[in-house]
Order: sequence, then C-alpha cells, then structure tokens
Amino acid sequence: MLGINPKIIYTIAKKEFLDNIRNKWVILLTIIFVILIIVFSYVAGALGGELFGDVESTVVFMVGVTSFIIPLIAIILGFATISGEAENGSLYVVLSYPVRRIEVLTGKLVGLGSVISVSILIGFGIGGLTIALTAGTQSIASYVAFIFLSIFIGIIYLSLAILGSTISKTRTRSIAFGLLILFWGMIYGTVMFAILYATGNSFENMPEWFFNSAILSPGDMHQTTVMRVFGIAEISFNMGPQTLTFPIPDFLSLGNLLICHCVWFSIPFSLAYYFFKRRDI
Amino acid sequence: MITKTAICPNCKYEVALRGNPGEKIIVICPSCNTKGVFTFPEGKTELKTETGSFAIEVDGLTKIYKDVTAVDDLSFNIRTGEIFGLLGPNGAGKTTTIKAILGLIHVNSGEIKINGFDIKKEGVEARRSVGYLPERVAFYDNLTPLQTMHFFCELWGVDKSVAKPLIREVGLEDAIGRKVGTFSKGMVQLLGVAQVMIGNPPVYILDEPMAGLDARWVKTIREKIKMLNEEGATILFSSHVLSEVETLCDRVAIINKGKLIAEDTVANLNKYLHIKPRLEISIPGLNGKIPDVIKTIGGVEAVDVKGDTLFVTCESSIRSHIITALQNAGFKIDNIKTIEPSLEEAFVKLISKDEGGA
Repeated sequence: MLGINPKIIYTIAKKEFLDNIRNKWVILLTIIFVILIIVFSYVAGALGGELFGDVESTVVFMVGVTSFIIPLIAIILGFATISGEAENGSLYVVLSYPVRRIEVLTGKLVGLGSVISVSILIGFGIGGLTIALTAGTQSIASYVAFIFLSIFIGIIYLSLAILGSTISKTRTRSIAFGLLILFWGMIYGTVMFAILYATGNSFENMPEWFFNSAILSPGDMHQTTVMRVFGIAEISFNMGPQTLTFPIPDFLSLGNLLICHCVWFSIPFSLAYYFFKRRDI
Repeated sequence: MITKTAICPNCKYEVALRGNPGEKIIVICPSCNTKGVFTFPEGKTELKTETGSFAIEVDGLTKIYKDVTAVDDLSFNIRTGEIFGLLGPNGAGKTTTIKAILGLIHVNSGEIKINGFDIKKEGVEARRSVGYLPERVAFYDNLTPLQTMHFFCELWGVDKSVAKPLIREVGLEDAIGRKVGTFSKGMVQLLGVAQVMIGNPPVYILDEPMAGLDARWVKTIREKIKMLNEEGATILFSSHVLSEVETLCDRVAIINKGKLIAEDTVANLNKYLHIKPRLEISIPGLNGKIPDVIKTIGGVEAVDVKGDTLFVTCESSIRSHIITALQNAGFKIDNIKTIEPSLEEAFVKLISKDEGGA
C-alpha cells in the first residue's frame, strides 16, 4: 500500500518543468545570472591574477552572486507550489486522481529542481566557457563540483520554499515565508553577531563556534563548502585598512558540510510531506 | 400502482385515476361523457438495483473546522447504478461531504468507502473508481485543453488517444489549441466534464456541475449525466437548485447544517412531506377576497388569494366539491389549473422544520 508509482512522479515533474521553464522571472534571473558570471569571469581572467587572482578567486566572487540569485529562483518557483494550486482549485482535480500525495510532492520537487538545474547549467556553462577561454582549465574538477553544489543549494532552498507552500493557507501567506527563507542569512548573521558581542567576544577575536554556526544558515554553509572545494582554508574580512584572516575550523570539513547539506534538504522536505499529507485541500 | 388526476379537456372536470406507470387507459369523463386516453407517466420511483452493492458508503462522517461543525454524523449509501442527488442550501456541507468522500480532507470521524475501497486505507484504489468534477474547477492556465487532457490521461494511466475524442464530446474542439487561461468559466467547466470521463470510471462525483452555467451548457451536462448513467455509471451530484435534481435523480439526500434531514426517492419525499398539489382557480372580479363558501368545505387545508386567482390546497378528492360550491355560490370560474408539488417546496419545508420553524 505504501508503494510509489514513478510514472506519476514523472508526469507531475514533466508538467511542472514545461510550465515553469517559461516563467518570466526565472528567465530574467537566469539572464542576470549569466551576465554577472561573464563579467566576473572575464574580469578575473583578463586581469590574469593581478587583481583577482585565478579561477578560485573568481569563484569566491561568483559565489556571492549565486548564493543570492539561486535561492531567489528557487523561492520564486516553489513558494506557492501547494498553496497557490489549492487556492485556485487545480489541486482538487489532481488529488482526486489515483495518486499519492508523496508522488505529487516529489514530482513537483523534481520538476522545479530541473528548472533550477537548467538555469544553473546555462549560467555556469557560459561562465565556465569564458573562464576556460581566458584563464585556462586548471580547476575544471573544482568548477564541476561548484556547479554540483550550486544545484544542491538550489534544491535545498526549493525544499524550504515548498515547505512554506504546504504550511501556508494562501499564496499571499507563502510570500512571507519565502521572504523569511531569502533573508534568513541576514537574520541569522545579525543574531549571531549579537550573541558574539553579548558573550564578551569581539570581531577581532572570533571563537570557533561562531564559524561553525554557518551550518545554521544554508547560504553561509554553501559558501564555506565552495571554499573547501577550491582548497581555500582561510576566511578573510576586509576591515578598512586591515584584513582579518581566520582559518576555517576543522569541524567544517567537506564531509561534514555535505552531511549538513543533506540534512537541510531532507528535514524541510520531510516536514513539507508531513504538512501536505495532513492538509485539507 | 400510482394515482394521478386527469382533467377533462372539454369541461375541466377532474377525476382521480389509478394505474401502473406507462399504462394507457381509456377514460370517460363522468361530467360530460367525453372519451379520452390517459397515459400514466413512467415512474422514477423504482430503483435500478433493489439490493446489491453500494458504490459509495458514508458512515458517521463528522468534520469539524476549528469551531464549526461542517458535517455532523452523516451517513448514507449510494446504490450502484443510481443517480443520487445531494441537496442542500449553500453552506450545508455538501462540498465538505464530497471532499471527504474523495479523501481530499481529513475527517474527525466516520468511514467512507468507494466501490468497497476504504478511502483512508486504500485511497489510490478508491480514487481509481471515481471521476470528480469540483465545484470550482481550475486547470493550468498555460496549458491548452489537449495538453491538460494529456496530463490527466498520464496521471490516470490511460492512453492519450482518448483525450481528443473527449474534448470533441464536450464541444471544445474549436478551442483545442487555445490556452485554458483564456477560457470562460463555462468552457473550463466543460473541460472539467471531459476530464471526469478519463478512464471510464464506474462512479462520478460532480459538485454543483451546473452552477453558474447558461442554459445551453446546462443541457449538455444534463445529457452527459443521463448518458453516463445509461452506460451503467453511478452518479452523485450536488446542487442547491432543486429543479436540476428533480428530473435527473433516482434518489436524493437533503442535508442542512451538516446533518442529513431526508434521504429518499423524489416521489417518496413528496409523499412523506404531505405536500399536496394546489388548485389554482381564476375567478374574474375576486379582487383579493377569499370567498366565504370555501371555509365551509371540509378537507381544505389552506386557502390563499392573489388578485383574481384563488389557491387552494386540499386532497384531490374534494376538488370537485370546491368547484361546485364556488359555482353554486355564484362565482364564475374562468380557468382551473393544478400545480404539482415540486421538490423546492419539500426542501423549504424540510429546512424550515429543521430550523424549528413551521
């Protein structure tokens, strides 16, 4: 009785993909994404290490762009997945068919995840080509890992956005949840700094737990992981005239960070299923 | 055996006749000896399956939303092969009941089976037996009707080749390439009807299928319901408009405030409620006054007057007395009509009873 029909997942995923690949916001953001990546990679490559250094440095800049644009695309795609369709009524028909709710939810995740993946592959493909042409192909393996991590963080934000859509009664209310997810990094950062100062520490003297807490914010977690992939072992802050450099704590190893990625995906998605299963449509 | 009242076309004399549905008898008017043929109407009272299986079983269904009890211990069974009408005013709990049957909402208590499958435990199997048309049906605006139908065919697991003929069947072939987002409400509803027939389910659940549609489309949907039923399908449909239900349904359940207040055939419901035909008598010059002579006749249950028209509710056997008494009192009768009771009256009567009224 608990079996899952992969054909249903495929059907829902295909419909979601074809319907959302034409989403004008997703197209617009992908275009912005591509332009920024070209600009960063070209500038970095053309200057040949004098200002930005090599591919790794370009990536550190790129991750600043992707860690905002990718979550934004994921939230735009996913925030009203369930609430929007429940509100307009199209979900009634779908759920009256011989389908299970887990199949519908998984299908939506796969379909929307594919849209994000396509958007990322286009952006990174063009960016990677530019880097390869100007700076060479020495970090190709790390770059491929970067693409993989970007897709992963996209799926994490998607599962968070879908969770919001299963909890919210209406489309409007899911917007609030979407904004919370999008600005969670800022909220979390502010809170952590408040704790930092409240516990008698200062900016010059940051304890390890402060860095380790990056796992509580998917955005920070993602950036740290990208650094690990490119073998960057230190975090630098430009504080006016001085530059503060801290080593990335051992706790934030690539393995641990990937486990955290999995947790950030599976808990929100499981919760989304829990709420969707119990939801009155 | 049914009893019907025939009116002589010549002298308007009324006579009570007894016979079987569909039976033809020769009648000779006792008043003016005119000969005529009377055919008893085909009764809708008998059920297509006397015993046998139930297509839908609802037992003790209760659904509470926060502080409102939408459905309160509701039980009814729908026999395989019948057209069952779920009636009630807006907000009575019809849509909640239907959604509970399909497992779209979680009930507080109660058991529901479709074709013998428990909706909670065997949801997929249960829903495989049903085609559902929601009250406010919506599809995906960016898809064409053909793409929409293909999507639902895939969900059901049937070949996509059924999509086009179904679209043609509901008369949407001219709009086959247009996006559903540009459709009118009626067109979306028709696409909903096409969608409901995917996979030829044995049971159809239609929530207010004719609400807000114009007469032409109402006719299309009525014919579709009849056709599906003739092909052997069981149909449950809800409505708050009685005229829709009366001519289509084998049986009806009337619910109000989430409670079942009646479940029977249309004919039995009328009998049970003692709603009698009314006599409408036109008397020129009456001018809103009830003739005193009426009040002296035994068996008259209610008298009302509007202008020159007198309305009398009574047993059909004393109608001739009323006419004779009026004529003897010097009233000139212009015209006589009998108004058959409608379910509308049954409905209003039941609901007002339920709410502690008359």
